[in-house]
Amino acid sequence: MTGEILAGLAAVLDWQVLSFLAVGVSLGAVFGSLPGLTATMGVAVLTPLTFWVSAEQGLAMLLGIYCGAIPAGGIPAILINVPGTPASIATSWDGYSLTKKGQAGLALGINALASAAGQLTSILFLAFLAFPIASFALRFGPAEYFGLALLGISLMAGVSGRYVLKGMLAGMLGLAVALVGLDPMTAYPRYTFGMSEFLDGISFVPVMIGLFGLGEVLVQVSDRHAGKRVASAVIGRILPKVREVRTMLGATFSGATIGTLVGAIPAAGGDIGSVIAWDQARRASPDKEKFGKGSLRGLAASCSSCNAAIGGAMTTMLTLGIPGDAVSAILIGALLIHGIQPGPLLFANQQSFVFSIVFLLVFASLLIMLIGMLGAKPLARILTIPRPWLWTGIVLFGTVGSYALNNAVVDVWAMYAAGVAGFLFRKANIPLGPLVLGLILGPMMESNLRRALILSRGDWLALLSRPILLAFLAAAVLSLLWPLIRARRAAGRNQEPLSSA
Amino acid sequence: MRRDDAVAGGLFLALGLLLVGSGSGLPPGIGGLPGAGFFPQVIGGLMAGLAAVLALKPSREGPREAFTISNRRQVAGTLGLLLGYLCLWGTGFFAARTAVYLALTLRFLGQGWVPALGYSAALTAFVWLAFDMGLNVSLQ
Repeated sequence: MTGEILAGLAAVLDWQVLSFLAVGVSLGAVFGSLPGLTATMGVAVLTPLTFWVSAEQGLAMLLGIYCGAIPAGGIPAILINVPGTPASIATSWDGYSLTKKGQAGLALGINALASAAGQLTSILFLAFLAFPIASFALRFGPAEYFGLALLGISLMAGVSGRYVLKGMLAGMLGLAVALVGLDPMTAYPRYTFGMSEFLDGISFVPVMIGLFGLGEVLVQVSDRHAGKRVASAVIGRILPKVREVRTMLGATFSGATIGTLVGAIPAAGGDIGSVIAWDQARRASPDKEKFGKGSLRGLAASCSSCNAAIGGAMTTMLTLGIPGDAVSAILIGALLIHGIQPGPLLFANQQSFVFSIVFLLVFASLLIMLIGMLGAKPLARILTIPRPWLWTGIVLFGTVGSYALNNAVVDVWAMYAAGVAGFLFRKANIPLGPLVLGLILGPMMESNLRRALILSRGDWLALLSRPILLAFLAAAVLSLLWPLIRARRAAGRNQEPLSSA
Repeated sequence: MRRDDAVAGGLFLALGLLLVGSGSGLPPGIGGLPGAGFFPQVIGGLMAGLAAVLALKPSREGPREAFTISNRRQVAGTLGLLLGYLCLWGTGFFAARTAVYLALTLRFLGQGWVPALGYSAALTAFVWLAFDMGLNVSLQ
């Protein structure tokens, strides 16, 4: 094991790998600090650039973007009350209040420190618990993988916020799109309309670029106020005092734990984790009334949680091959292109590579903390770039990036169609996350169910004798029903005061 | 029932029914094992059922925000210019085609001609150098 750890570290301590990491973190900081540009978009758009370098170099850049974008998303949330990424929604609640009180610098400093604490805690989780998870996952057969895929899809429906039904429909649409191409078991062409370009199915990356890149650009064009520029803010003191750090410690680490656990759930990311952590910190805090009005505890909890989701998502991705969130879904694609299959076998056959990832994440966390502390002022200036320049840049990179995947025009059209769909779905309050998850997990669910049925000679009831599958099915049913139960409880609570009145 | 929910539900319902119908034309499978048509039918059936609920139920989901698209002309123009650019993909020189597309889009979005042309030329040069020259992706 020690040899593998050292080999992993040695692979990372290469000047080229570290340079790619630094470039990735810097780009991630730019993507995260610009409202509308997300970590998902950054990784999706820049993934094609990594095809021509080694796996370590490519992954260093992509992980750098991932680890850089999430903390940087807190910068516009704090300065102008516009979350740079969906994960920094809760950061704006207390961060912007601090800015209004003239403590923008302190809020940015807490964002940098709590984000690093969250990332490093979740990386520890990845380093120490990923192997037990992976060895457990090695016992998985096709039936268990089917159950896992089903659980992933059902969880996304459960975490679609207020739009559960629409989330489930979006998931179904993702599953439907995943049907295009050759049937995974019999190679019978489905929905290819006689076009050979569709035989391999619809590429995932162009769809992602379209949904999150072009779709977001169209939303911003639709919502924009012509010619508006974002004003810069006064930064002031950045480092918190020791007394303030002591106040925030509990909230930071409870946020990190919640973020890691939520991040480890397939496709539940930092956006959900940070809201849950903020709420938990508020419940546990002696000064509940300060939350949402500039509470340091609230800010620390949300910042650490949304960043801790990175390690959680990476744990699920590496051990089970299941995307923990949209970014790790794209990372899976990038790894596959480099010939690396995430999943239990990765831990059996390429342990040093797993440790390389752990070290890359640690270095990226420390680097973004440094950038967050030292580069807060210059990053805030980037917010003054005219939006149309950003939009055209995103669209051009998205178009050329989609084409560069396979040198195929059909991928560019897939990006365009996904962009239009992403725009309309946002406007109709249809969550995009379940769609992506359906697209990714659909083939896994179908092929594993059919494999499992072949093994059981077509006996559906035999599948129910497998305890792990049963546990996954029960969890899937619960996650589907939980939003309904919660809504019913809330309705009951609302009716009680009325009836007593 | 909200009108936009009804429209979304109707579209998903139609797609679901289409999947069920088209799935029945695919191989059904043999010996109790599902074939290529099994999943399309299951997904289509579930989608149609959920869509019917969405279309018909009195909605309690989320705030009552109507489906509205502001700045329709700008959204349509942005999409139209991109559509034209993609239709011309593979014809003429990439750099010239891209620079013209970017400049027109920037101008359409309210930027002045001079900054639009300057930024378009710089961005096109960067993308061309990065992808065509640097990564050997043929953009012509």
